[in-house]
Amino acid sequence: MAEISFPLPDLGEGLIEATVLEWLVSEGQQVERNQPLVEVETSKSAVELPSPQAGKVVRTFGRPGDRINVGEPLIVFEVPDDTAGIVGTVPKDEAPKRRVRLSAVLDED
Amino acid sequence: MDTLPPPDSGSAAVPLTSRQLRELYSLMVAVRHLDSSAVAWQRQGIIPGYAPELGQEAAQVGSGYAVDLARDFVFPTYREMGVARAMGVDMVAYMATHKATWHGGLYDPIESRLAPIQAVVAGSVLHAVGWAHGQTLAGRDGVAMSYFGDGASSQGDVHEAMNFAAVMKAPVVFFVQNNGWAISVPADRQVAGGSVAARAGGYGIPAIRIDGNDVVAVFEATRRALAHCRAGNGPVLVEAMTYRRGPHSTSDDPGRYRSLAEERDGAGADPLERFRQRLLADGTADEAFFAAAMADAKAEEEEIRAGIQALGPRPGEEMFSLVFQETTPVLQAQAAIWREESEHV
Amino acid sequence: MSNAIVESGATVRHGAEEGGPGENGREQLSMQQALNRALDEVLAESPKTLVFGEDCGRLGGVFRITDGLQAKYGETRVFDTPLAESGILGMAVGLAMAGFQPIPEVQFDGFAYPAINQIVCQIGRMNYRSRGTLPMPITLRVPSFGGIRAPEHHGESLEALFAHVPGLKVVSPSNPHEAYHLLKYAATRPDPVIFMEPKSRYWQKDGVDVSHGGSPTGAKVMRPGRHLTLVAWGAMVGRCLQVADLAAEDGVDVEVLDLRWLKPIDAETLATSVRKTRRAVVVHEAPLTSGLGAEVAQLITQGCFDTLKAPVERVTGFDVPYPSGDLEDEYIPNIDRILNGIQRVLEYRRG
Repeated sequence: MAEISFPLPDLGEGLIEATVLEWLVSEGQQVERNQPLVEVETSKSAVELPSPQAGKVVRTFGRPGDRINVGEPLIVFEVPDDTAGIVGTVPKDEAPKRRVRLSAVLDED
Repeated sequence: MDTLPPPDSGSAAVPLTSRQLRELYSLMVAVRHLDSSAVAWQRQGIIPGYAPELGQEAAQVGSGYAVDLARDFVFPTYREMGVARAMGVDMVAYMATHKATWHGGLYDPIESRLAPIQAVVAGSVLHAVGWAHGQTLAGRDGVAMSYFGDGASSQGDVHEAMNFAAVMKAPVVFFVQNNGWAISVPADRQVAGGSVAARAGGYGIPAIRIDGNDVVAVFEATRRALAHCRAGNGPVLVEAMTYRRGPHSTSDDPGRYRSLAEERDGAGADPLERFRQRLLADGTADEAFFAAAMADAKAEEEEIRAGIQALGPRPGEEMFSLVFQETTPVLQAQAAIWREESEHV
Repeated sequence: MSNAIVESGATVRHGAEEGGPGENGREQLSMQQALNRALDEVLAESPKTLVFGEDCGRLGGVFRITDGLQAKYGETRVFDTPLAESGILGMAVGLAMAGFQPIPEVQFDGFAYPAINQIVCQIGRMNYRSRGTLPMPITLRVPSFGGIRAPEHHGESLEALFAHVPGLKVVSPSNPHEAYHLLKYAATRPDPVIFMEPKSRYWQKDGVDVSHGGSPTGAKVMRPGRHLTLVAWGAMVGRCLQVADLAAEDGVDVEVLDLRWLKPIDAETLATSVRKTRRAVVVHEAPLTSGLGAEVAQLITQGCFDTLKAPVERVTGFDVPYPSGDLEDEYIPNIDRILNGIQRVLEYRRG
């Protein structure tokens, strides 16, 4: 598993910080790309930030009322570093199972 | 762009009734809900993978709805769930391909008029031409609907198909969903000149480029195209401009190649919401209807999910028995060894 | 047919570490990482090297093998192509004629089929046709074989098809160490190489000794043994090593030979192994009929006819299309089928 940190983006018009109003996801939750993550308030408006990617939420930064500067960490996702690629699944490495036993008289000539 | 001669004052020009408009909406809701549910099924381990068609509901439902199930035959890709649903295909049997039960799905192609799900990009476009020419040879009036995308339009087979169809005046509708993205490659890096429809001109094929997120426009263009083909005028190309709002597949991560801002700008208005507003505005449907449509979609999804969950693996015998119509001794011998050595007899 | 004892639900210990160079100086890398590093180094070492294919650039490939390479080497050397495999391979021919060393990718084995005309009729023949003046230093990377429950055409075993084409060389790594060294070697050859990457083994980490690769040519004994040689390549090598551990519990000492190069096949190492063990089973995922196992069996027969104790056995996929994920394990040779194959050889008696 790898962690990807998502910093508070510049919400436009040169704003340098935002205040957390409400987290819409919790730690440990699986989120989809574009799913609303958090509601923040800038000096201009309150906005919902959509998730830039799919993944499991590992950590969120800032409780309601806290200010976060643009570029500082907002949320950390855990993403599998062994995703299969575009299709299919990564086969699990399992202990080999057998039903068949060998029986043989082995001459060593 | 519209180089297709205008429809005669026949059935190809009749406006959709209110009942049909509501039916189109219900289909779009059912498709939207099933599609997003299939993504959730993958996250829940019910299916190993899925290719979402989020954002393409209007293009798929509108075109699939225009097909004449008594006469026509449809050649899908792997991202045509909305077409299949609009055609009334058994959706458990359709989704079986994504459950990894059987490549191509478990529905009966002859019965449902939908060719097996095609995993090869542009793999079935020439098949549509062949089927269509067969209609000409047999004196029938069926039309082949060939679905493909902006990515597939790069494949040589597509160009061969268009040329063959035009030379033979085969009744084929080349239905292109230009959804802007072939996995990570945007259409402007895929389609030189920017338009698949423009290529039809080189083959002497009339083409229509439409707003693929307007379900009524999609339906009407497809109906015109089908009528043109059915009248013996040869092939038509329809390019429905739409947008792949989701990932290429459930394992894809669009964050690696496009930003949310690009997505928002590219996707435009949600085709489902657009249609809802339109039906509301002209009084064709009300909130109660929308709520009922959503409830139906949910009930339908639950039924399909239950069917998918209950769907066990196919008997391993089918690996051998379905290779040929007339099997071979070697294959029979291999099947016998498999039976002897398998845990699953 | 067999007097093998069938045991239900028997559990066994995990397979031993794979063979290869000593543990000192080894890095733990996945095959994906090892291939990525090999490409990185080849791009750095030769400015004539180009990496391209569908989604190879910005995305870094659907299996991330080319991850980060476009950012590092720019869009002229690592690039996305339109979606057309025949176009990709045909263009590789022209680039090679212009003096470049193309490393194209087809995204999945099944999508080599649309390019087969360029691969067979052009890449395999241009050196010959041009009387050696237009060599084809093309390394075609093909994510290959089954085992990931993928959709149709996303899991195929094409080695016999490629090996049958005059003018092509074919290689398949079995683990990250082999992947790193074989790709670096293949990508610097003056001839076309089909590089078949076992996609079910992309993500498991294993030791890679970057500085000590051993010989990049020929076959390689991955585990020595006395009683029987298992011959395999790609993902089947790991499975055969597991089988060898299980066979050891029954007192049967199995040698595992990773063929690595499927063309040219290292007949010498093959014969050396089987002359010692006097018994051989060849294992592959591809269908039985006209599979590469037939070629291997013939080479063994040719080299060891007078000492063989039994006909060479083949444990392979069946003569059926790769089935959907639900039935994939029924198709790909499993441990019991390989053990049964070994048993058939062990109990064979002349006359």
